[in-house]
Amino acid sequence: MAEEKEFEPIIVGFFCNWCTATAADLAGTLRMQYPANIRPIRTMCSGSVDPVYVLRALLGGADGVIVGGCTPGDCHYVSGNYKARRRMSILKTVLNTLGLEDDRVWIKWISAAEGAKFARIMNEVTESVKKLGPNPIGKDWSI
Amino acid sequence: MERYAILPIGKQGVLGTVRQFLASLLEKKLVDALLVPLELPTRDNVVPTIVSNPEQVQAANPLAPVMPVNAARLVSRITMVSPSPDRLGVVLRPCELRALVELVKLKQASLEKLLLIGIDCHGTYPVDDYGKFVKESSSPTEDFLNRVREGKDDPLLRKACQTCEYPVPMGADLTIGLFGANLEKGIVLVAGTPEGEKVIQELGLEAIETEERQPAIAKLIEERAGKREELLKQTQEEIRGLDKLMAALATCINCHNCKTVCPLCYCKECFFDSPVFEFEAEKYLGWAKRKGALRMPNDTLLFHLTRLNHMVISCVGCGLCTEACPNDIPVSDIFRLVGHQVQKTFDYVPGRNLDEELPLTTFKEEELPEIGM
Amino acid sequence: MDKMAKSEAVLVIGAGVAGIKTSLELAEAGHKVYLCERKPSIGGALIQMDKWFPDNHCSLCQMLPTLNRDKSDQFCLRRGVNHPNIELLYNTEVTELQGKAGDFKITLDTRSTGVDSQLCIGCGLCAEVCPIEMESQFDEGLGRRKAIDLSNPYATPHLYAIDWEKCTRCGECVSKCPTGAIQLEQKESIRQLQAGAIILSTGFEEFDPRLATQYGYRRYPNVITSIELERILSPGGPSYGELIRPSDSRTPASIAFLQCIGSRDSRRDYCSSACCMFAVKEATLIKQKWPQADVHIFFMDMRAFGKGYHRYYEHARDALGVQFTRCRVPVVKEDPRNHDLMLTVASEDDRPVKRQFEMVVLSVGQTPAPEFNELCQVLGVETNRWGFCQTRSLSLVETSREGIYICGSAGGPKDIADTMVEAGAAACGASKWLGSPAIRPTDKEPMEKPAEEPAPKTAVFLCGCGGEIASTLDLESVAEHLGKLPGVVHVETVPYLCRSEAFEAVRKRVKEHKGNRLVLGACTHISGQMLDELTTRVGLDPALVRVVNLREEVIWVHRDQLEKALAKAKSMLAMAIEDIRQQDCLPTSPMTVTPNALVIGGGVAGMTAALSIARHEIEVCLVEKSSELGGNLKDVYSTLESGDTRASLRDAIEQVQKNPRIHRHMDSEVVAANGYAGNFRVSIKGKDESINTVEAGAIIVATGGNEHRPTEYLYGQNQQVITQLELEKRLFAGELDSGGLRSVVMIQCVGSREKDRPYCSRICCSQALQNALKLKELNPGIEVNVLYRDMMSYGFKEAHYTRAREKGVRFIRYEPDRKPEVRQDGERLTVEMIEPALGGTLRLEPDLLILSAGVIPGDNRTLADILAVTLDEDGFFQEAEEKFRPVDFVKDGIYVCGLAHSPRGIEETIAQAQAAARRAVSLLTSKQLAAGRVISETVQRQCRKCEMCISVCPYGARAKDDETDEIVVREALCQGCGACVVACPSGAAKIRGFRDRQVFALIDAAF
Repeated sequence: MAEEKEFEPIIVGFFCNWCTATAADLAGTLRMQYPANIRPIRTMCSGSVDPVYVLRALLGGADGVIVGGCTPGDCHYVSGNYKARRRMSILKTVLNTLGLEDDRVWIKWISAAEGAKFARIMNEVTESVKKLGPNPIGKDWSI
Repeated sequence: MERYAILPIGKQGVLGTVRQFLASLLEKKLVDALLVPLELPTRDNVVPTIVSNPEQVQAANPLAPVMPVNAARLVSRITMVSPSPDRLGVVLRPCELRALVELVKLKQASLEKLLLIGIDCHGTYPVDDYGKFVKESSSPTEDFLNRVREGKDDPLLRKACQTCEYPVPMGADLTIGLFGANLEKGIVLVAGTPEGEKVIQELGLEAIETEERQPAIAKLIEERAGKREELLKQTQEEIRGLDKLMAALATCINCHNCKTVCPLCYCKECFFDSPVFEFEAEKYLGWAKRKGALRMPNDTLLFHLTRLNHMVISCVGCGLCTEACPNDIPVSDIFRLVGHQVQKTFDYVPGRNLDEELPLTTFKEEELPEIGM
Repeated sequence: MDKMAKSEAVLVIGAGVAGIKTSLELAEAGHKVYLCERKPSIGGALIQMDKWFPDNHCSLCQMLPTLNRDKSDQFCLRRGVNHPNIELLYNTEVTELQGKAGDFKITLDTRSTGVDSQLCIGCGLCAEVCPIEMESQFDEGLGRRKAIDLSNPYATPHLYAIDWEKCTRCGECVSKCPTGAIQLEQKESIRQLQAGAIILSTGFEEFDPRLATQYGYRRYPNVITSIELERILSPGGPSYGELIRPSDSRTPASIAFLQCIGSRDSRRDYCSSACCMFAVKEATLIKQKWPQADVHIFFMDMRAFGKGYHRYYEHARDALGVQFTRCRVPVVKEDPRNHDLMLTVASEDDRPVKRQFEMVVLSVGQTPAPEFNELCQVLGVETNRWGFCQTRSLSLVETSREGIYICGSAGGPKDIADTMVEAGAAACGASKWLGSPAIRPTDKEPMEKPAEEPAPKTAVFLCGCGGEIASTLDLESVAEHLGKLPGVVHVETVPYLCRSEAFEAVRKRVKEHKGNRLVLGACTHISGQMLDELTTRVGLDPALVRVVNLREEVIWVHRDQLEKALAKAKSMLAMAIEDIRQQDCLPTSPMTVTPNALVIGGGVAGMTAALSIARHEIEVCLVEKSSELGGNLKDVYSTLESGDTRASLRDAIEQVQKNPRIHRHMDSEVVAANGYAGNFRVSIKGKDESINTVEAGAIIVATGGNEHRPTEYLYGQNQQVITQLELEKRLFAGELDSGGLRSVVMIQCVGSREKDRPYCSRICCSQALQNALKLKELNPGIEVNVLYRDMMSYGFKEAHYTRAREKGVRFIRYEPDRKPEVRQDGERLTVEMIEPALGGTLRLEPDLLILSAGVIPGDNRTLADILAVTLDEDGFFQEAEEKFRPVDFVKDGIYVCGLAHSPRGIEETIAQAQAAARRAVSLLTSKQLAAGRVISETVQRQCRKCEMCISVCPYGARAKDDETDEIVVREALCQGCGACVVACPSGAAKIRGFRDRQVFALIDAAF
């Protein structure tokens, strides 16, 4: 009997150039294993991730979105991640209030030294989104 | 500190008294012009008008329970390019005033040389309903005030008004106080600023103390807040979850009327009307292929969600978006529901205070611990 | 200076934080920099650490230039430093030096690492097969590595190197290496080069606590050093940031820090300056993550003397509950049953107390590296008695030999902030000996853009990585998939993309297919200089090239999920193709620079800055509010370490007065300023109320500070109570009848480290030591009692502290909540205090009571508002970043130095003024400031001028143009962070390279 193929989510990652993207490279150098469900996009700063990008990804077919930035206080651009935190808080509140599974949207601070954390978070977000199942928004023809 | 004076009501009635008060501002040169709703000759609607001739004020009716447009947009229009050169009194409902304060923070309006005259707001009808109401009554304004006198809201009023917990103007120089006033005898004129006090002095009005006003306001707000809670609960039940939300938005045709009438949607050209959203045909067909089908116009949910992200922090709940929707989508209810949560997060009440920074231009180093860690 | 031909190149020895900073400073100004490093990778002690005091932030990347920023890589500095003007020489030491300042001839000896960096692709197969495991130096011996391995995990390209000591030459790696990059024979190569100046930045070696056997280091497993703890706490460290102790890998419930290990002892009677704060930082990090841990710091004096340090210390103590006990360094014994440690603590009352801890951290001091002495001999520079480099009087960076400068811990122990200041000062000094920078190939005019953008044609090259990628990913199917995508004109797989043969192949193919976009499926190897080389060869703007990391982001991290990995690789490449298809390539407008400087303040900081700038043939406008130059210097006669300073200071004033390039505005103040880096307009009000407007490209704030006027201890009421400055004046003017003096009492921290002023004034302990020594010198019979809280005799000042005690000066500690009481009984002045050490009351009857009054900020608010810069909590000017940008403001083009920034001594002020001057010179000698590739722009049609973008821009790169009323972008200042884009609801603010359309297309390609 053919077993039903396990659901493999697609997760779009917006990773800040300075910290999280560096951590991604470090995870590679250290050969840390994590699921290949991430589609990384390098942004200059977590503060440059417009909520509309996250929405676009979610509505366009992503099962999850993760925004990675520098640890608070460490932003190369002084305060980009603090601003991102407010934006993302609003975005998540909007989604949550409307009952749109805001737990598909993750925001994590991963510093340049945290290759291991990067791999761990990628594991966690993939597992979590797998549990949520396919994102109904992305599959709905009427959206 | 608020100061009170009385505008005695004679045989001219409440509306007549208000008109007389407004005319006296012009006559005594306390303002050079007024922006105030004037009754159309057909009487079935009002239209915000810049009036400089005191005689024209006789058609003014800021008490008419109808709001065809949020006049904050108009104050923005008048003062955007350059501040008013002359003294301009603007007569605004509380939600208009709050929207104006937000627009000032957004550099879309200037308060320079403006005298902010707020009115206690019992609420407004949809334009059509107002038209009907007017036809049935010889003195609709007085009738309306009688109808709501006991602090009772009229169930025919717009839902946004019935659930509005900010019926009293915030930050006005002067407020035409209806709440708690004995409208047989006089309207309470409230001076909220030294500017307002000056006007009262110049007009030689009698200063009074009032013990009725605050309790009446408190009672009304409590009632409204209760209704707001009901509204939020009801909205939540109606639209929460993807299926319900999509059902609610199903009839959206991307006309963008909601953003056109929104006093806070200040963009010259909406992001969604910009070339960013002009795609090649292959894109549309590609999306259809990916999902099996693609509803057109597309990106309606994206539009509403993005507008929420952009504007909900400043949403004053005037409710005109719902009025403007050709397909009766409860846009305002959705904004109220989301706005309540978002504004709570940042302890932000739009239009409460000009000195409060817009939450998205600032931040605290220690906050929102649930985000990021 | 003679008019000989000077080399424009500089040699920097040591590529730690100091070396990198000083190199960047000079590289930015166009000088050729040879940065030579003894080890196989850069970064020094710095990249072993993740967070620093006094803010627990990393901020390493803040060192990168903000102007002309695309010249250096816009990446985390842990990955390496890449600037076209910096040539990195690894494994390299200086063996010979000839010539003189301006024209040094240097011989360098480079040892091979066994791995040819041209051939190595960083695949790591060598380390995989290497049978020799050894302790990793990077992890301080706590982690393991192979005899051939990465020298640090961050560096890109990956730097593999052989540890020759441990390598057995078994040859396993040689046979496994796919590119034949390994040679088991250590070779040396000699190179000679010329340089006008040399900067030494070799840093320090941490004290080896095995030399102090009483602490049980390496005998007791749970006794570790502070640097080892740093690795343990690092998320990239051996335990991934989990706090565990070595004996049983358990999280210790109690941790003791022992201070002054290898410092302040009989052999090393200097203070290592940074370890107190280092321990406070580590304690803070532990308490933040493991609040229940019992963290205890055993110290002699808490030397929290830098900017913001005292607050940081108080926060650790009061808010986080870190315990502090003042004592001599405790003795350590292990309980062999559980490897816990028993400390015998002899606190001030001399009653030894035993306390048990589960882990002990030794705060090891800074010592000169063992080979440093030899290096100094080769260079012919003098060392001091501890083996650090000797600097000249009043200078922290000039060595005994002309043209050779020092910065950082090689000149004496110090922390990052002070190191960064010296790095700037050394660059300033060195530039004196350098010829004008030559035009470098990278300065060439930007490529001409065709009037109409041709349709995007993308060529895609996939690197097989010698089978590393090709054997894991089915590149054929990838190529087939990509070939169908819009805009793709060519897809090709090459065995090694990082070879220069491949560059040529790419160039040919791109030309053949008239390609104008390039996507490379490769690895992190293709970055930095290699990518620059490739794009230059192919003739494409780097903005039109994307590298997709198929190795580090796909095959190395998705080993057992090949199918998914293939899908991810296809998506990532498709995303890059879509991204670059939408990429436009618009010309930027370089910004011109007004080549004049404005220096505000005519004290020592301002004069030093003005002279340093004027030396570069730049006109300087010097604004001084009083009628004479010199500022606080008028009241300073000598310093603890440089002795009598009067002659040199008089000389400085004269030099400023004589310098034709320095235009003095006396009795004047700045009343208005507008503009931005390179183009300020400043209004100066003169004595006669006339307003003078000057144009300047850079502004230096050197407005100084003041001595606190005490209100306590009968100051101003009793003639016998005076401040240290007043005492100094009397001492030098001979106004003091020292012979008649019987007893002098000094009280430290008057008005400093108090609730109102929770900062250390840094200089008063030195003043006290200096004046006490002077008094003793004049009359050894005088009884001098110094009542103190912590003696801040950091660095080599400690030796003076020792000397003072030897000369009989008594140091008596008081607690801040039990201050000395000063009374006047008739003619008699009495000082009474409780001695914490003995608990008894001490009564003194001095002839003179000297108050160490500390430093308070001047009226900085007005100027800060005029310049639109910020002040810190104490009213001093707030620099851009506490550690890595100590003289900059976030707003470019304005720099700060001296007491305007924070309390500091004369030598430190001079160094900071030089550092600030260096920053200004770099800016002012750029004829034009180039904008970066990723910059923002405004679509005027959509802009509603709500100014949200202006309010979120940290750099002042966005402004409303006064004339057009439009929101404009000052392109050279824009750092490309994109805050404006997110803030703008209309979509009128855009970032080139990240346009909404482009990001949308990129996202769309992800599925």
